[in-house]
Amino acid sequence: MIDKVVQSFDAAVRDIQPGARIHCGGFASPFNMPSYLIAALARNGADGLMLASTSAGTGPENAQALREQLADIVAWPLDYWDPGLLAQLGRIRRLITSFPVGTGSAVKWPFEAALERGEVELELTGQGSLAERIRCARAGIAGFYTPVGPGTAVAEGKEVRDFDGVPHVLERALHADFALIRAWKADRYGNLIYRGARTFNETMAGAARVTIAEVDEVVPLGDLAPEAIHTPGVYVQRVVVRPSSPSASWEAPC
Amino acid sequence: MLTPPRLDAAAMAMVAAREFHDGAVVNLGIGLPLACADYVPAGREVILHSEHGLMGYGPLAQHPDEVDPYVFMVGNRPVRPKPGMVFMGHAESFAIVRGGHIDVTVLGGLQVDAAGNLANTHAPGKVAGNLGGAPDLATCAKRTVVLMYHTARDGSPKVVERCTLPLTAVACVDRIVTDVAVIDVTGAGLLLQEVAPGWAPEAVQAITGAPLTVAPDVREMSLA
Repeated sequence: MIDKVVQSFDAAVRDIQPGARIHCGGFASPFNMPSYLIAALARNGADGLMLASTSAGTGPENAQALREQLADIVAWPLDYWDPGLLAQLGRIRRLITSFPVGTGSAVKWPFEAALERGEVELELTGQGSLAERIRCARAGIAGFYTPVGPGTAVAEGKEVRDFDGVPHVLERALHADFALIRAWKADRYGNLIYRGARTFNETMAGAARVTIAEVDEVVPLGDLAPEAIHTPGVYVQRVVVRPSSPSASWEAPC
Repeated sequence: MLTPPRLDAAAMAMVAAREFHDGAVVNLGIGLPLACADYVPAGREVILHSEHGLMGYGPLAQHPDEVDPYVFMVGNRPVRPKPGMVFMGHAESFAIVRGGHIDVTVLGGLQVDAAGNLANTHAPGKVAGNLGGAPDLATCAKRTVVLMYHTARDGSPKVVERCTLPLTAVACVDRIVTDVAVIDVTGAGLLLQEVAPGWAPEAVQAITGAPLTVAPDVREMSLA
């Protein structure tokens, strides 16, 4: 019998080792971040991580500031943790991202501070190339030529080739050991549907050896309409359900 | 002689939003360009695209009862859902961008030069820049408009002969809209098309770091 549901977040990330390559989804909204998986990875303690994420993450202090700043408009979840938590704890060795630094944030983003101290490596890449590199990893494509980047720093050290007179940069697929993603509903096969913009959550599913989906709900097999499934379960190895009441701290076992 | 007033951010957004034709698919960068959504010319329907996988969103949510927690645009800003709206993932979202399906993008700028090169990601003094989706948008949108103040906080020109900051994309800018001018990037350099009310072309040139050709039919911006 196929059952990809894992009983706890701690169990779901237990085999993530120091130095692991991690894809972390979510962006632009606090409601699409795999926060409990990030917190569990923080509790796991693995360091030296090679992380790929749209953004380096604001970290807990800026999240609190945003929570207060947006309080009149939206109830920012208390159980929000982003890759900035991992940066703050010194767990990231190398980050592949399109947004490494904060602008107008309350305090400096933790990754930005670590970068200034020379403790971390940054591979800066545009968001579109990051997305396609990850999609290629899922799809078994070794690389692709994109018109985005020639004449700029991202093309340095990469092959540039003309197609119909337009220079294109060769970008390589970006694989990971683990992908941490957030979805809405899953079934025991790992089929997923999402709410709202699917961000890198959908793009990263299947681009890692092990994709772990943090979901609001697991529904009986057959409840998800086949034509409505966004991510086929074959891309997903583990599913974990978020707690019904928010955890107060990332440090609390979950 | 007193310097005439410059446009405020809202007026700048209004001028840039005139670029949106009926049916246009539009992507707005973080910062000044976001306000363009509020100034879509009357009678035109546009589809707003946000990089993280949202198309066809409505105006910014102003009250809690307008917020759908699953409808945010970039910058952690909740926007109002709108009929016809579509969600997708990042890979699809950038297939739309890279595939040339965005009609107009309005991006912020730190520097634009006479060759249409754009620097808008790495602010001086920062350890690194934020590329975001700007390289894809600037390179692949059918039309790239840069909306920025004409000069930096220290008074130095942002429209320059040659960008000195790290480039976002090369030869990508079609039009520059600032608080004093509308300038087109052409194969023959920068063409001054419009000036802010009260501004003479010479006054615009005086705060610009590259030579401007004054269009024969140069006119004052209409802010009506």
